[in-house]
Amino acid sequence: MAKGFWTEQKKWLLIALVIIGGGILFFTSHNERFYQQPIAKVISEKTTGKRKTKDQFENVDHQYNQQLKVRMMNGKYQGQVLTVQNTYSDSRPMDQRYRVGNDIFLTQVRKQNGKLSANVDGYKRDTVIVFLLWLVTLMLLLLMGHAGLLALISVVINAILFLIAIEIDLKQNGQHIMLLFSVLAIIFTFISLLLVLGFSKRMLATFAATVIGTFVALGVSVLVFSWTHERGVYYESMEYVTQVPRPLFLAETLLGSLGAVMDESSDIIATLFELKQLNPQVTRKQLFISGRNVGKSIMGPLVNVLFLIFMVDTFTGSLLYIKNGNSWGYTYAMNMSLGTIQSLISGIGIVLSVPLVSLFGALLLGKGTRK
Amino acid sequence: MTTITGLGLVLLILMVLVGGKQGWTAFLSLLLNFGFLYFAIILVAFHVPPLFVTVTIGITILAITIFMGEDDLRTTITAFYSSLIVLGLILILIFAVEHWAMVQGFGTEDSDELEGMSILIGISYLKVSVTTTILSTLGAIAEAAMAIASGLTEILENHPERTNRQLIHSGMAIGRQIIGTTFNTLFFGFFGGFLALFIWFLGLHYSFGTIMNNKIFVAEMIEILISFIGVLITVPMTAWVMTKRRKSVVDNSMKIK
Repeated sequence: MAKGFWTEQKKWLLIALVIIGGGILFFTSHNERFYQQPIAKVISEKTTGKRKTKDQFENVDHQYNQQLKVRMMNGKYQGQVLTVQNTYSDSRPMDQRYRVGNDIFLTQVRKQNGKLSANVDGYKRDTVIVFLLWLVTLMLLLLMGHAGLLALISVVINAILFLIAIEIDLKQNGQHIMLLFSVLAIIFTFISLLLVLGFSKRMLATFAATVIGTFVALGVSVLVFSWTHERGVYYESMEYVTQVPRPLFLAETLLGSLGAVMDESSDIIATLFELKQLNPQVTRKQLFISGRNVGKSIMGPLVNVLFLIFMVDTFTGSLLYIKNGNSWGYTYAMNMSLGTIQSLISGIGIVLSVPLVSLFGALLLGKGTRK
Repeated sequence: MTTITGLGLVLLILMVLVGGKQGWTAFLSLLLNFGFLYFAIILVAFHVPPLFVTVTIGITILAITIFMGEDDLRTTITAFYSSLIVLGLILILIFAVEHWAMVQGFGTEDSDELEGMSILIGISYLKVSVTTTILSTLGAIAEAAMAIASGLTEILENHPERTNRQLIHSGMAIGRQIIGTTFNTLFFGFFGGFLALFIWFLGLHYSFGTIMNNKIFVAEMIEILISFIGVLITVPMTAWVMTKRRKSVVDNSMKIK
């Protein structure tokens, strides 16, 4: 790596981040007292029974009984030791095998005849998230410096706005979810680009191209929806639906594609700026061609980025469908068709933005050479 | 005509109009990636070890995404090498994190959809969760590697005299310019898909502690954060691979001219 990477400043930043990280991780792994729900630590475990299960599709699995000796970590029984029962299987779809040192949540802790008993409710996972958050922050700040900090702030602000929008949506019972998330999409784009690029012509060009690209793509897709009478769109296969599925699906798609379109627009403009910096005399035509070249090479991979994000989420569900004797076609329709549609709509947005943003960038930066 | 066919046709036409031959191969790469993803599910269903499926299908998807997304071998070979290295590094991290977090399979929120299903299928859901986390990250790694590699190729083409240090510097500069928006791509890609889940959480007034330990939420967060880490490693890795390959990149540029 380049010399001079480890500046004095970075050394101190690293030391500070490691100390802070260690502190936060220690806190998260010892924060039981802040939980209302009883938490216990496994101090010994013993697997007692084993039995074979077989379903009508010839899937063979084994189930085990596990006896856990645990110490209460919070609440009024803190410090007391009790024994709880747990079951787990080889495949572990919804059950867990616990090991010594694991923190687990308990329910129905009660004292009968002087003996404590409880049921196992789940595994404590907050430390994992905190660790990964810390790792991302550390790498962002060390590798990317100032830009990394801004990217971090942008993600945090977007996450907060996202939560506020959901609260508003819940207050309205999902009545205007499309309108709400369309407005939010525009605000998201503006804030993200403002933070990443700063307020400039370059940012406005990227902003305009992103918003136009995304909404035109959604418009085109809604047209295709009505032409094809939404054949093969199984809204009933959507997960975790608590509101009217169709607008919810469109809002999900809008948000999902927004980031990618923004990404592509700014990648093209970023390269145009690098070129402009290296050669201030570059013409509009050269810039447009370079922009389109960058766009052409990014659009495929970028569509694939979203495709993988949207489709891989259905992997486990599809696997289960196949193992439950469903045909490959039915498995696809019930698990993957909505993901496919989302990928296609995002793809349309991504492709539409290539000429748009190259044109804006070229007009903004290039020297006109028309004689 | 179904909606999927209709949208697919629109995408195909647009891709060919904007990207010409390259647009056509980009569309084809999407189809192939779908094929291989589905193939991966079938393989796992037939009890092929998930780790083996992950590595082989993972490398295949990387190759398809990179080599079919762009013709310029100067860019693609660099991007492919660096994303392979990143894939290896990320695999180790995911393996450790998934075993620590134990977010395999399904959560209690999935109960409705699992009704009437036999979930004890004799395949380790934990191994499957390693597979899904890696596969969902691959696109982002390939994309970042290509963005850096293609930017550096443009620079080498115009300024072949740049030193290795300057090249890494330029690579990190491009990295800094794309990192914010790449994070946004991943953030929106994942959060868009989980809008419904968050409406569920907030609608049912889950507490902060409950959400932070919720199996589905943690699984999703791991996917997002691992993707972030993957992209972050990719930037210097690609710049570094480019300095190793600069000679062949510059030579090829000469030939093209």
